[in-house]
Amino acid sequence: MQYEFRIDGETVEVTLAKNGDLWTLSENNASILPDGRIRLESKEGTTFFAHSAKVKDTWWIHIGGHTFCIDHVEPGAAEDDEGSGLSAPMPGKVLQVLVEVGQKVEPGQPLMILEAMKMEHRIIASQEGTVSAINFSEGDQVQQGSALLELSL
Amino acid sequence: MSTVLVANRGEIACRILRACNEAGYASIAIYAENDANSLFLELATRSIKLEGESIADTYLNQQQILKIAKEYGADAIHPGFGFLSERADFAQAVIESGLIWIGPSPRAIKRMGDKMTARTTMKAAGVPVIPGEEIEQEDENEALIAIKDASRRVGFPLLLKASSGGGGKGMRVVNSPDELEDAVSGARREAIAAFGDGRVYVERLLTGSKHVEIQILADKHGRVIHLGERECSVQRRHQKVFEEAPCPTMTPELRERMGKAAILAAQAVDYEGAGTVEFLLASNGEFFFLEMNTRIQVEHPVTEMVTGVDIVREQLRIAEGEPMSCGELNMRGHSIEVRLYAEDAANNFLPAIGPLVVFKPPVGPGVRLDTGVREGDEVTPNYDPMLAKLVVWAPTRKEALQRMRRALDEFVVLGTTTNIRFLRELCDQEDVVNGTTDTTLIERVWPNGWSPEIPDSLAEAALMIAGISEGSGKHRKSNSSTDSADNGPISPFSTISRRFP
Repeated sequence: MQYEFRIDGETVEVTLAKNGDLWTLSENNASILPDGRIRLESKEGTTFFAHSAKVKDTWWIHIGGHTFCIDHVEPGAAEDDEGSGLSAPMPGKVLQVLVEVGQKVEPGQPLMILEAMKMEHRIIASQEGTVSAINFSEGDQVQQGSALLELSL
Repeated sequence: MSTVLVANRGEIACRILRACNEAGYASIAIYAENDANSLFLELATRSIKLEGESIADTYLNQQQILKIAKEYGADAIHPGFGFLSERADFAQAVIESGLIWIGPSPRAIKRMGDKMTARTTMKAAGVPVIPGEEIEQEDENEALIAIKDASRRVGFPLLLKASSGGGGKGMRVVNSPDELEDAVSGARREAIAAFGDGRVYVERLLTGSKHVEIQILADKHGRVIHLGERECSVQRRHQKVFEEAPCPTMTPELRERMGKAAILAAQAVDYEGAGTVEFLLASNGEFFFLEMNTRIQVEHPVTEMVTGVDIVREQLRIAEGEPMSCGELNMRGHSIEVRLYAEDAANNFLPAIGPLVVFKPPVGPGVRLDTGVREGDEVTPNYDPMLAKLVVWAPTRKEALQRMRRALDEFVVLGTTTNIRFLRELCDQEDVVNGTTDTTLIERVWPNGWSPEIPDSLAEAALMIAGISEGSGKHRKSNSSTDSADNGPISPFSTISRRFP
């Protein structure tokens, strides 16, 4: 069985063999436990008891004290555009807009200040460019992922 | 005292309600609409809903809380921490309504709550304070001029602090004069938003020092004692993440001197109840008063673990007018607490939200968990992102650290990003292992931000688990409401993934 996942921006193809209740990948063997956890015996001989849960298209996996977020790529799903928009890292309120449309900005320059959970967060230009749109003004509430400003590079 | 109203929510409300249940008091929990399914309500004798939506209309609404207290027969109010806990006007109003205020007098709260007044009070009492200057001007421009002036005498780097501040809000590190103006306006803005008071003052930034605080208890019979110290040096954004008792570099002689200074501070304001006097401890053994917190503190459990004193129970006892029950200070073993936050430690500790699809805390010997959430809950942007306090106790510091590593490895939270792995790696840092932590540790160890160290073999195993989970269809699905904004409500039964054409 073949699946496509995205982890840390990298697309990975995973091919699993299944033999009865036993799943195999390289020399790792795994089986599903009655409570939904997965018992994995690694090729190094370590046994892990992994938890997994899916939220939308993302698999949350806990194994060996680490937590991973792995996006399942549905067959035929379109790749996200490599946009130059700057989005809100979390829901909050716009406290200050520090730039104007048409203004040239340098990498590292603060563009907007958001307030979330009573703390201020600066939205910072990651690259050089010109502000082509500002989608919110001071006092506006923004949702997580809202495109706050756009830069043309 | 027979019925205690707990004017708080989340983890600390659970802590206090459990103490009430143990002591045989009836209890009243109050809650905002968005807390209607929260854990703390289950621990109260009864729960009363607060009208209104914003925090100001609910947990900060003094009138409404007092009205509920009277209507439902409460005779005491415990404020917990945050919210109304350090509001002298609320303490006053509680007392004037004929109820017992579980905390110090309004006057003590006021004197210590205003950081500038506290500095002046401490100087007068002979407790050393950090070199710095109070800025009395309220007008923004006049204050800026005064701060610029003071900064020349105090020197850089310096720290701007909101006089009404706390929790790192309204606080700015200023490294050079050209950063000063921006920092002042930022700190003032944050302080006005959080506390309605924009006054900020100037202190020298003492780098390389430890944050050490002394727990105080004072009863109505004139007895004031300290319960030893906690070290809380490891902080990010001026918020503590790793706390321990005792402080690994403490000596009995220094403990006695700091304990005496803390008792002096408490006596200077006729303190009653539980409180904490915070100090900066320089590497040469010099210590300076930082502030006094006139309430129960987040990190109180580590003191409870090493002293055997139930601090919240003592608060209830003292409020009732009884003498406190603790005898001589007798510290035993070592305790560490870490704060689990819903935040992305790899992305500048940005707060995170989401469903707690899986929430499995560790168990076993010497492990204590104080939390206000449980599996299935939703982490929302409405309140503080602290999910839980994981506390361990062991006979020695080395064993306590080992136990903490084990406990963090066992802790499973899926659906919301947490700082668990960050805390786990923190336990391996040389300074943490050696006990030579100071307040700059996190910036020093991770100057460009933290990112997890993941063994390749484990990443491969994780991908395999994802593949099996996807392939077997045997997975749990969140029935979260907040993350489904773009595709409507998710039925808990629709476990089949969406398909794209």
